[in-house]
Amino acid sequence: MIANLDKNVLVFLLASIALIVFPHIYHIPINIFAYFYLLIGWRFVGVWRPHWLPNRWLVFLLTVIGIGLVYLQHQGIFGRDSGTRLFVVALGLKLMEIKTERDLYLVTFLAFVVAASQFLYTQSLVMAAYILLVCCTLIATLVCINSRQPQPWDALKTAATIVVQALPIAIVAFILFPRMEAPRWMLLNDRQQARMGLSDMMEPGSISDLGQSTELAFRVQFIGPMPPPAQRYWRGPVLSKTDGKRWQPSPHQGFAQFMDKPVFTGKPYQYTLLMEPQNKNWVFALDMPAEFTQPLARNVTYQLITSANPDKRSEYKITSYPQYNTGYITRIEYADAIQLPAPPSPEINGLVTQLHGFDSPPEVFIKALLAHFHNEDFHYTLTPPIMDDKPIETFLLKTRYGFCSHYASAFVYLMRTAHIPARVVTGYQGGEFNKAGNFLEVHQYDAHAWTEVWLEGKGWVRVDPTAAVAPERIEQNINIDALAQDAVIQFASDADTKQASAWLKHARELLGNVDYNWQRWVINYNSNNQAKFLANLGVDNLKAMIYWMLGLTAFITAVLSFILLYQRPKTTDQALRHYQQFCRKLAKYGLIRQPGEGETAFAERVKVALPQAGEAVGQITHIFVGLRYGRVARSEDLQRLAQQVREFRVEEIK
Amino acid sequence: MHNAIDHLLTSANEIILGKDHKIRLAVCCLLARGHLLIEDIPGVGKTTLAHTLAKLLGLHYQRIQFTSDLLPADILGASVFDSANNTFKFHPGPVFNQMVLADEVNRATPKAQSALLEAMEEQQVTVEGKTYPLPSPFFVIATQNPSHQIGTFPLPESQLDRFLMRIELGYPDQAAERALLAGQSRQQLLESLTVQLPPPQLHAIQQAVTDIHVSPALLDYCQALINFTRTSPEYPCGLSPRGGLALLRAAKAWALMHRRDAVLPEDIQAVLAAVAGHRLRAGSSHSEAIVAPLLEKVGIH
Repeated sequence: MIANLDKNVLVFLLASIALIVFPHIYHIPINIFAYFYLLIGWRFVGVWRPHWLPNRWLVFLLTVIGIGLVYLQHQGIFGRDSGTRLFVVALGLKLMEIKTERDLYLVTFLAFVVAASQFLYTQSLVMAAYILLVCCTLIATLVCINSRQPQPWDALKTAATIVVQALPIAIVAFILFPRMEAPRWMLLNDRQQARMGLSDMMEPGSISDLGQSTELAFRVQFIGPMPPPAQRYWRGPVLSKTDGKRWQPSPHQGFAQFMDKPVFTGKPYQYTLLMEPQNKNWVFALDMPAEFTQPLARNVTYQLITSANPDKRSEYKITSYPQYNTGYITRIEYADAIQLPAPPSPEINGLVTQLHGFDSPPEVFIKALLAHFHNEDFHYTLTPPIMDDKPIETFLLKTRYGFCSHYASAFVYLMRTAHIPARVVTGYQGGEFNKAGNFLEVHQYDAHAWTEVWLEGKGWVRVDPTAAVAPERIEQNINIDALAQDAVIQFASDADTKQASAWLKHARELLGNVDYNWQRWVINYNSNNQAKFLANLGVDNLKAMIYWMLGLTAFITAVLSFILLYQRPKTTDQALRHYQQFCRKLAKYGLIRQPGEGETAFAERVKVALPQAGEAVGQITHIFVGLRYGRVARSEDLQRLAQQVREFRVEEIK
Repeated sequence: MHNAIDHLLTSANEIILGKDHKIRLAVCCLLARGHLLIEDIPGVGKTTLAHTLAKLLGLHYQRIQFTSDLLPADILGASVFDSANNTFKFHPGPVFNQMVLADEVNRATPKAQSALLEAMEEQQVTVEGKTYPLPSPFFVIATQNPSHQIGTFPLPESQLDRFLMRIELGYPDQAAERALLAGQSRQQLLESLTVQLPPPQLHAIQQAVTDIHVSPALLDYCQALINFTRTSPEYPCGLSPRGGLALLRAAKAWALMHRRDAVLPEDIQAVLAAVAGHRLRAGSSHSEAIVAPLLEKVGIH
């Protein structure tokens, strides 16, 4: 039986399957991956040495091993990960028993399912393009199975044509097919996946992990003008409880009804925010968010919380005001914002006294403290020396090397020592502007910590002590990640390097823009978006949607079929074109030339059926035959042919 | 020139009744300088056709009856000691004739068959290290019994390829049979035939055949046909390049016989069964059935 299968087809099939499974290298453990590629390698050898293929018992043994591998990994075979792995193992095993043509079809269709399983993990544009290409090779495999003499290159061309023809229908189905939201249980266990991001707990040094991650946190597209870089504070969790080392959010909740209503002034900024998947349900809005829609809500620390599944990319429309007054402070807030783990040490008290912390208004003390950071020998670095015992004291008085979380925590500590309510705010600061797509990209390395101080008559006011030490970090949004890690960051002018990498930067921006739109319009196209988008087009209910879908699909199919069926053989031969026109005229009388019928033979047949047209048919055929097969083709013959064909009529017999 | 051909055909048709198309093919084969294989059961006029053609063309004619004990020397000739001169003298065999009728060629052993077939291909004979050219024109008509009959050695594929055409004569139809039964003896009629196309004129026509025009469009069709035989599962083995050349050569001769100066697809189609049938070996022994899918499925535009 094996001898019947074409080697080319097998090699083609195996190569496509090897390509399809390859991106799973990121998702399936190396032993299952190796197991699969061992099987496929074995099968490749088996193409030329069929007797080396395993017999039934060996296949059984391999099956046990494969399922055992999956089971050991997961203690089960349900769920996305183990399901995918089981499928890959099964595909590998099925390769071992390709015996008939039917098996080829089965394996090809299994491979399509594996291709689709890639989207359970990655939905990027690159992956989509890759899968589309690999699907081309799979379809080419099917073409090969069905052709007399498989020619890989021709098969690929046919497959590519099929895919291109399928695309319009796919687009229509994508836009109009009713979206079903997956039920909760179908989300399975992919929440366990670790994701980078801010945590709700801050220790000195915790943000520096993020400082080196280039992963995207979210994207923002402004409607109208953008705020200047110094105002781009993306508000995250507020930390007010401390044990002197670690900072955590306040445990107190539910006092929102006692809080003053914030008053917003100045120019509002409207924007769309596209959050990347994350573990927490935080949405990092521009400080401070004023208007937002479901499923967002603002908590007592003015942070936006979403009630949708944060593990999916989601888009929000938010309006923020950079100038605001939160009004009076509640007692709970005050108690939280003044809390200290223990009475400050004499050295700290001495520092506050020296900066007139106890005897001047808060504004003066803040200014003095910021000036202290600026003028004294404080340095900004992402790799500060380790401070074990009393980090704040050691930082302020001894090491003086640190980054945003050190400065923020030290600042708040000193404020609280001087009985001024203060707290740490974490979030992101800055963002890289993508010129190509006209949006901001905020990465994990933009993670930042700053402080808020409550002032009489002004409410909570943002103070960023890091700005006093390294104003470039805030104003120019310098990518710390790109700078040396273990050196003190000097924030030297890097105009030269910018110039050199401008082209690269532009390319990256363009790519970022494509990805943004892909995420926004394709991945994020759920039932809500669909409803909104279609309502714009006047399609507002399910029935209309389905009618439109069926109608458009039918239309595209009709257009494609028309093109395919009425595709005339491409020819530069004018004479042949005239002759074909002549044949079409005759076809109206039921005289259809068979493809293998010679012109003179056809003419004889026509003369019998339509004796009254015999002369004209004879002439036309004679001229055409002369032009096509004769020794010399004269242009006047061509004109005569054209004219005769044009004038050709069959008179009705009276 | 054309008149001579027409006279030839008319005369031949008077001897072999009701086989107009087959005779045309046989003459076409001759004009294209090819050898002819006639395959049919005994008694349908294979030998008579060969005889008739030889007479009408005025060629030296010799018949070799192939039997299972025939030796190559019986065909090619042998050197015999001449005691008068004390030398060996080559006595040319029956193959040294302008027209050779190899009757029942598949009754001989492969050894004897190949002696003839090699002579056909090379137009010369080498015996004991000496090469003797064969006369020109040289035309072999071989007849063959259907291979299912007892005591036959079917010709191998490589040797079938040497014949430009294979035709089957078949039984005459009712009217022709009647005329045959009622008419004169064929033997007497043969005696009365006159030469219609003497060798110099035949040579001129053969030369004219090579000058028939073949347009690119026709070559496209020809290649499509050849390609189809090579890719279609209906044929275990496609047409060889030699087969393709033979097809074109026969089509040119056919075009000339029909007073055209260029080959039409119809010419190709007319000779296709005779030229390609025995080369395609597609199970059926009927050439028309073998090439039917080609005629039907290969478009000429």
